[in-house]
Amino acid sequence: MTAAGVVAADHLSKWYGQVIGLNDVSVSVPPGVTGLLGPNGAGKSTFMKLITGQLKPSKGAVTVLGEPIWNNPGLFARIGFCPEQDAFYERMTGLEWVTALVRLNGVGDAQAAAMAGRALEQVELTDASHKKIGAYSKGMRQRVKMAQALVHDPSLLILDEPLSGMDPIARRKSIRMIKEWGRAGKSIIVSSHILHEIESMTANILLINQGRILAEGNVHQIRDLIDEHPHTVYIKADEPRALAREFLTQDDVLSLKFEDEAVVVQTARPDVFYARLTELAASGQIGAIHEVTSPDDNLQAVFQYLVKA
Amino acid sequence: MSTPPLWSSATRIFDLSLGQMLWSRRSVFLGILLGGPVALSALIAVLTRTSLGAFRINGAPVAGPTIFGMIIWLLYIRFILPILGVFYGTSLIADEVDDKTITYLFTRPIPRSAVLLGKYLAYLACTVLLVLPSVVLVYFLIVPVGGGSIAAAFPSLVMDLGMLIVGLASYGAVFSLVGARIKRPLVVGLVFAFGWEPTVLLFPGYLKRATVAYYLQALVTHEMPQDSAVSLLMQVFHEVPSVATSLLCLAAIVALTLWLAGRAVEGREYVLEQ
Repeated sequence: MTAAGVVAADHLSKWYGQVIGLNDVSVSVPPGVTGLLGPNGAGKSTFMKLITGQLKPSKGAVTVLGEPIWNNPGLFARIGFCPEQDAFYERMTGLEWVTALVRLNGVGDAQAAAMAGRALEQVELTDASHKKIGAYSKGMRQRVKMAQALVHDPSLLILDEPLSGMDPIARRKSIRMIKEWGRAGKSIIVSSHILHEIESMTANILLINQGRILAEGNVHQIRDLIDEHPHTVYIKADEPRALAREFLTQDDVLSLKFEDEAVVVQTARPDVFYARLTELAASGQIGAIHEVTSPDDNLQAVFQYLVKA
Repeated sequence: MSTPPLWSSATRIFDLSLGQMLWSRRSVFLGILLGGPVALSALIAVLTRTSLGAFRINGAPVAGPTIFGMIIWLLYIRFILPILGVFYGTSLIADEVDDKTITYLFTRPIPRSAVLLGKYLAYLACTVLLVLPSVVLVYFLIVPVGGGSIAAAFPSLVMDLGMLIVGLASYGAVFSLVGARIKRPLVVGLVFAFGWEPTVLLFPGYLKRATVAYYLQALVTHEMPQDSAVSLLMQVFHEVPSVATSLLCLAAIVALTLWLAGRAVEGREYVLEQ
């Protein structure tokens, strides 16, 4: 472990009764954008909760920006956290909600409203800022969560599955924003169970599985492994059959099936597939795409391979 | 930006929480519950002016101010105050945990105890806004029954309103501690309010000092009708501390339970279900 990281864990463990959430993790997260990659249940959320002071380590220590995070609320003036859960005060507008939360950072009413307005502008939600959050689409809800995380201009942003459920265009916008914040000098830790999402934001990753950090470093080293396993994508759209027709013409699509108003695709080349999906969504030829999610079965297979190796 | 002080943070949480609390389903339900005494009072007022004549207990006519006192004691102090305290107090943090919105509050540069304190203040404002209009309506409906004077009984109304605010503050603080420390706070709260309190109040000795109702009853100014079940009940309650002692003890209960609840929230992990 090095002391220079924005987040440093030293033999960090967390267990819930008999269940181990995180097991003896020692890691130092460098400044810049870092991806935390792992399947569901790998320990990502436990790690995220420990580095945001929501959980107390069972063993070991964790410091954020050089200070212990547990019971240290002052540190949150320098941290912005976008949680995974889709939970809001639904009756508030986006502007009211972000304003109310940044007021908790000790700023006055007028300044809070101005800061909230700027944050919503950064996530391209200015037009919807006076709408109730309950009326937001999934992508807008994800972006308003990001707005509350960055509204006070923190030096460290912690984003837990920020692209989950977004449509392709919102996903592309969000990836661009995260990269811009990274270029602007913010340190960002972003978790996902989808490699290509992380890859599109940063080359620096932490691989986590079964409560342990399996690897840290450059994403390209495991990229080939991922490509050897089919990648499953669930797409909820107005016209799933039209989408399926488009996909069938592509070599990388291995299989297709329909579920309610969605199409589930298996592809051998996720990067190519997602790029084409984004283009299709932007062109508007196949109706609206509401949600894109990826089960983590394929990533789980890679992790099993890594563990065996 | 430095960490805002506890009180300033609590007032901001209060601002954020009051609207949510006022328009919650719980407030709508309890608002309907508080319509009960008003409806009962309206019924008594109508019946005494038409078919029933004077309101009687054991054959003796009872004046409006006395009926009002009985309603305050039996419905508000012994039932509505504990109910409001249990349902709101135990859920101050639990609601945010259930809604998974607690993360947004606990990842801001404010002490966790400020979240509890701000929500407690919002509870107090919300319940005062629910209870006081109901009591005032009951007052205007009931006091004129049997020739009672609204003007003459007005000081008693003001004291009742003050006593109800003290009661809401006390029960809310006690049950916020129950909510912060205990896994099934609603059950424990209901057992405390409707099992422990009425039971120990019936027995002589020191146990009753471990209740809120013991101190609240000292603040009740109303005289009860004699030679009735209610008067017998009141005789049992006769052993009451002075008003000053009661206020001091209730203030201590509020301060101590809120402090303990704040400590519990500071040290507790909240694991949200995925």
